[in-house]
Amino acid sequence: MKFNSVIIGGGLAGLTAGITLQKAGKSTAIISTGQNALHFFSGSFESMEEAPQRIVDLFAEAGIGLHYAPGVRLMPMGTFKKATLSLDDVSLFPDPKIGHKALIVSFTGYHDFFCDFLADGLEKQGIQCRVNMLNLPELEMLEKSPSEMRSVQIARAMDHRWETIVRELRILIRDEDIVVLPQVFGLNDSSILSRIRQSIPAQVVFVGTLPPSVPGIRTQILLKRRYEVLGGTYLIGDQVTGAHVYDNVIHSVVTQNLGNHFLEADNFILATGGFFSKGLKSNPFDISEPIFGLDVEQAEDRNDWYNPEFMREQPYMKYGVATDPTLHAIAGGEPIKNLFAIGSILGGTRTDMGMGGGLALRSALAAADQIIKQAEQ
Amino acid sequence: MSINEFDVIIIGGGITGAGTMRDCAMRGLKTLLIERSDIATGATGRNHGLLHSGARYAVNDPESAEECIKENMILRRIASHCVDETDGLFISLPEDDLAYQQTFVEACRKAGISAEIIDPELAKRLEPSVNPDITGAVRVPDGSVDPFRLCAANMLDAKLHGGQVRLHTTVTGFIKEGDTIRGVHTRNLVTGEERDFYAPVTVNAGGIWGHDIAALAGVNVGMFPAKGALLVFAHRVNNMVINRCRKPSNADILVPGDTVCIIGTTSTRIPFEECDNVAVTPDEVNLLITEGAKMTPSLSSTRILRAYAGVRPLVSADDDPSGRNISRGIVCLDHETRDGLKGFITITGGKLMTYRLMAEIATDAVCRKLAIEKKCETSETPLPGSEEGSYEAVARKIWEKPSMAQKAAAARMGSHAHKIMTRDRLDEALICECEEVSLAEIKVAIERLNASTLTDLRRRTRIGMGTCQGEFCACRAAGLLAKAHGCIEKEREDLKDFLQERWKGNFPIGWGDTLREAEYTQWVYKHVLGL
Repeated sequence: MKFNSVIIGGGLAGLTAGITLQKAGKSTAIISTGQNALHFFSGSFESMEEAPQRIVDLFAEAGIGLHYAPGVRLMPMGTFKKATLSLDDVSLFPDPKIGHKALIVSFTGYHDFFCDFLADGLEKQGIQCRVNMLNLPELEMLEKSPSEMRSVQIARAMDHRWETIVRELRILIRDEDIVVLPQVFGLNDSSILSRIRQSIPAQVVFVGTLPPSVPGIRTQILLKRRYEVLGGTYLIGDQVTGAHVYDNVIHSVVTQNLGNHFLEADNFILATGGFFSKGLKSNPFDISEPIFGLDVEQAEDRNDWYNPEFMREQPYMKYGVATDPTLHAIAGGEPIKNLFAIGSILGGTRTDMGMGGGLALRSALAAADQIIKQAEQ
Repeated sequence: MSINEFDVIIIGGGITGAGTMRDCAMRGLKTLLIERSDIATGATGRNHGLLHSGARYAVNDPESAEECIKENMILRRIASHCVDETDGLFISLPEDDLAYQQTFVEACRKAGISAEIIDPELAKRLEPSVNPDITGAVRVPDGSVDPFRLCAANMLDAKLHGGQVRLHTTVTGFIKEGDTIRGVHTRNLVTGEERDFYAPVTVNAGGIWGHDIAALAGVNVGMFPAKGALLVFAHRVNNMVINRCRKPSNADILVPGDTVCIIGTTSTRIPFEECDNVAVTPDEVNLLITEGAKMTPSLSSTRILRAYAGVRPLVSADDDPSGRNISRGIVCLDHETRDGLKGFITITGGKLMTYRLMAEIATDAVCRKLAIEKKCETSETPLPGSEEGSYEAVARKIWEKPSMAQKAAAARMGSHAHKIMTRDRLDEALICECEEVSLAEIKVAIERLNASTLTDLRRRTRIGMGTCQGEFCACRAAGLLAKAHGCIEKEREDLKDFLQERWKGNFPIGWGDTLREAEYTQWVYKHVLGL
């Protein structure tokens, strides 16, 4: 099997690169273990204080609405964070005084949404708050099992019965101008959010829950669908176990499921994520990149990997694979000519590209653009 | 007697203080226990959780060995819900002198410890995780004990006998009249409230901090702070306790406890200033892993959950630089005969295993001072939670068809688990999935067991002790504490403290899956939840 590009990693960075390449008529395959950082996506792309038309369009074509306005957003612990490019799920405000009176609504037995913290945070801004826990017959099935009251399960139960929420909210609401709800709606279809918003006589603010992230999973589903509609090959539940590299050029990769059917390509994109996603591996002595053995920028002494203060910036989070200015990954001090590293595997090594979601989008487009340009030449 | 007057005041909420409190209260004394932090925060909660058979001390410290085996048998009876009767092995590796085995077994027999030499092949069948190269094995009645649960059960029983506990309260000074201690000045570290309490006898059960408490009273107790570092592994690799059959040394005990196993320890003298904040060094981590893998090779590839260290309250005897050879024996000082200071007793030395005996000795001394003649009954009376036998039987007695979480609760609380009979099915919701802690159990800990912070909750219920190290349950439980105490800002800080405390034990072993989990937690709390 030969592709123009093989992308290792099916998260935000890999899918963004894949969609961009497919749109440009390049044949690609994505190899994905199945889990990625979108499963704990906050709904906002970090370090992306802009809304580039190109990205907005790319997401819109996948059925995902994005927006950006300078200001703040409300976080689950009742704090406010600087606004960045966000899904339409996330409400952005010019400042923390987001209204006058707020109705905060959650579900009885749901412990992954923090009403009291939210109320405290809003009251600090002089916003009067009322908390209400809904007891819905629709969720009774979930309550029966002690570990079923989680975001995705609620979303599954509520997606077909979103009108119930609207009905309940319309009964509950008095003179509040803000209604705060957990992000547990629209697992497959984000139009539910706008339908809820349109039916409530107040501004509805969806706030994050403990992972898994419903908007994150939806984003993953829609981007993957878009990628496949464009003709991309998404190999899920597979992982790369080896590669054939000669003279700093990768010829093919070997995967667990395909065995002897090597995946050949002109270009390879490594988007396997940071430590959690196993893009980076660590042992007591060093941090490494497990597939190609790429150079990883890191402090030599393990003692320097951490800041003993949990809330401080952690040095290890800055470590990532070394790249040349054009994102070609470096092994043994030499760039691999047809391997690009994108997304969280870069850690904080590319300060020019930001971090988290912003880094994923910027680096994915940068790599895809180079591949497209290369072909044109 | 006014509300500020007691028969006896005990300073220190570790196992010695809790045991002494129980004994005093059972003998009818009006008892107050004062603890600067929470229960079991010092050495009590920072050891192996080993139910010593005493075999380890048999050769070098026969007196401690005898005390150990006696108390071992007593704890199996009175604290069955805190004890796991795993038995233990003392193994010889090719590099160990097999001749020591004979000395060891003879010393054990002399101390009354059953020590049976078994065929290494049998040992490997009994404990498949053990190094297959062993040249010898001795079976002894070791086990494991949950020190948090044991400490809580002692305090709970003391409270049932009328005792009072003041947590998060520090002794700021002693009320002295001439050469007699009449009571203590205290300050509540949470509310700032200052109060005086009076009693004819005060017991110093402050562990290593007993040194400072004695100094505050104007007497000197020469203590020797010996730090011991340990590692918790994420799986219960072994089912029996595994020891090295040689002179006690570093990292030669591996204890299975609940869902994990623990390797330790080291022994290093540290300055008193460091006792409040002991850190595990990379060298110690390396040593523990290397030595541990010699006994159980699979440890080298098992995920480590955290590193921690405790400080043994040894009493100076000679100038042994490591403290290894100082007797683990019990020291009870009557400062009246020793220093001419009346109404003050220090109980120290000893170890987790002999806490009950230490309590008995201290309480005898208190009773002598108060001229009370009442027999100690703590060796016969089961602790609350241990009256019913196995946790499964306990769970079935309370619930017709107990769930996993209810069985886990019965294992943690023994017969006392009936207190968490759920009010409605919503109370069965799991807050901590790793350790199967339900909402009902958290509520009991908050309402009945004086838990005011997340770390307090952890000590009482094991939330946050599992593989995720509190990633999710901390947040859920913080929501519940915030509701119970009505102070959100404080709870937000509490959550940060809890995560900091978990991180402190994670970063010394921050690689592999631990680093993955840490990256996830740090990312989620900062960027997703906005703490």
